[in-house]
Amino acid sequence: MKGALHELRELLIPRRQTRAQILRNCLITAVTIVVCTALCAMLSGLGESDNAVQMIYVLGVLVTARLTDGFIYSLFAAVVSVVGGNFAFTYPYFELNFTITGYPLTFVTLFMVLVVVGMLTGQVKRQGRAQAEAEKEKMKANLLRSVSHDLRTPLTAIIGSSTAVLENYDAFSDDVKKDLISHVRDDAQWLMRLVENILSITRISGGDVRIVKQEEAAEEVAAQAVKKFRTRAGDVKVSVHVPDELLLVPMDAVLIEQVMLNLMDNALQHAKSATHIDLRISRRGSDAVFCVEDDGAGIDEAILPKLFEEMFPHAQEMSGDGRRNMGIGLSVCKSIVDAHGGTMRACNRPQGGASVSFTLPMKEETQWQSKEK
Amino acid sequence: MAVKGKVMIIEDDRAICNFVRRVLEANGYEAIEVNTGREGISLLASHCPDVLILDLGLPDMDGMDVLKALRAWSLMPVIVVSARTGENDKVKALDAGADDYITKPFGTSELMARIRTAIRHTRTTSHAGIAKDDKFTARGLTIDYGKYRVYIDGRDARLTQNEFKLVALLGRYAGRVLTYDYLIREIWGPNKSYDNQILRVNMANIRRKIEKNPAEPEYIVTEVGVGYRMIEGD
Repeated sequence: MKGALHELRELLIPRRQTRAQILRNCLITAVTIVVCTALCAMLSGLGESDNAVQMIYVLGVLVTARLTDGFIYSLFAAVVSVVGGNFAFTYPYFELNFTITGYPLTFVTLFMVLVVVGMLTGQVKRQGRAQAEAEKEKMKANLLRSVSHDLRTPLTAIIGSSTAVLENYDAFSDDVKKDLISHVRDDAQWLMRLVENILSITRISGGDVRIVKQEEAAEEVAAQAVKKFRTRAGDVKVSVHVPDELLLVPMDAVLIEQVMLNLMDNALQHAKSATHIDLRISRRGSDAVFCVEDDGAGIDEAILPKLFEEMFPHAQEMSGDGRRNMGIGLSVCKSIVDAHGGTMRACNRPQGGASVSFTLPMKEETQWQSKEK
Repeated sequence: MAVKGKVMIIEDDRAICNFVRRVLEANGYEAIEVNTGREGISLLASHCPDVLILDLGLPDMDGMDVLKALRAWSLMPVIVVSARTGENDKVKALDAGADDYITKPFGTSELMARIRTAIRHTRTTSHAGIAKDDKFTARGLTIDYGKYRVYIDGRDARLTQNEFKLVALLGRYAGRVLTYDYLIREIWGPNKSYDNQILRVNMANIRRKIEKNPAEPEYIVTEVGVGYRMIEGD
């Protein structure tokens, strides 16, 4: 009983409507009714039939139901249409009279039509919303699945290696122990990077929360990313190239650093024979361009066009050994760059190896805000 | 081995406490582990450690409050431990009197370097006031405070007046991170306090004069979102 009441209430006026929204809805309703009435007045002035009046009010209620949130507004519009229409545009004019032969049926039917139209329109809107919600849930589930897979493999290795050391402490030589422990460290570091990617996702896709941008020197963010990357690059040489002019780019530095790290990680893991990774920063018009190049095997031409397309492209392809795939790395990059209003592209270089680049606009319409203030 | 100093760790996670203590002990420090903020405040007064390592996220109270309580009576060096995304926390902690910060996850060599720097600074600031003919040297970089000049591998770097002031200030606090706001206040005065751009432009110019590759700085490192740090002197 209580549930039904609640549902009815929710149908009439959805909860969590701010005062501004309610005001907006009321305004739309009022304007629609006034416009309809004006139209009817014009038509009856021209001597058109009363049928047109009814059709115009049906249209008005439809528009109200489409533009407002909550059935109460279209219900109100329906009542006003029937009563007002009767008052102003049917014989006797400017008098309420529902008793003339044929009138009761006409007005009851009209009222029912108006109510049903209002309800149906509202329902269509609610279904649209539910569908969007379902999409979001599906995305979350995909992310969770991909992440859980990525977590389980290195965790298994960590538990295995550390247990092996503890249980065979005297039997293993120092070299073996060192080897196992360094694997524990590598896997833990890999997990940390995964967690940082997940944190970045929650930072940009937490509803409509906009990222906080601040003007940063591109070379400084790149320097920090490269410094971090060097510690895990092994024998691969990393170099950075910046233009002579200073590029100040509005960005969330933590997220953009993450993009550069992911792209360099990707180059390291996918370009098997890479010996050099270059990070180049340049200026193209009013955009700053960041480009990560390697001299490895390049990207498979088949997957090149859809590299950034799907939200989690690697989630399905990942088989048991896929843990070095950085499953979510590239999609994280794409969403971060998108959130900054930039673009991303990848290609194979003619001299061999892959090149993945992204641009960030250096000028913004909206003023950037200082984080500290 | 003689004890190099006493270090207190206020950190609620026992596994982190454990490895930090082991590393400190292996490096010749005496370590005191504390797991809550309240306990920390009361033990700080009785132990008077040489350095405090303070986690900002404590279960019973905000690490910032521990810092403020300590700063009411002591200038002992404090190294704050914070999460990756908390630039604001770092800046706030530094402004509230922390000497340095370290980001989770941190390596042990990084931690030991920070502790060494912190202890060195307490010992040197006790006889503060740098003489006019003093010099700072780190690898190929020399700051001549008397002549207002910076030399790279013996050659004059030809810094402008403000550029010199900036490098000189960072050199004086070598090894420590100085926040954007602090640097701007010291060099351009309090009225410029929120214009970071002028600082970035000056730093970019300095780097093009003293670094081989401005994107891989050797002498002045950027702590993105926080400030700049000069490497330790020789």
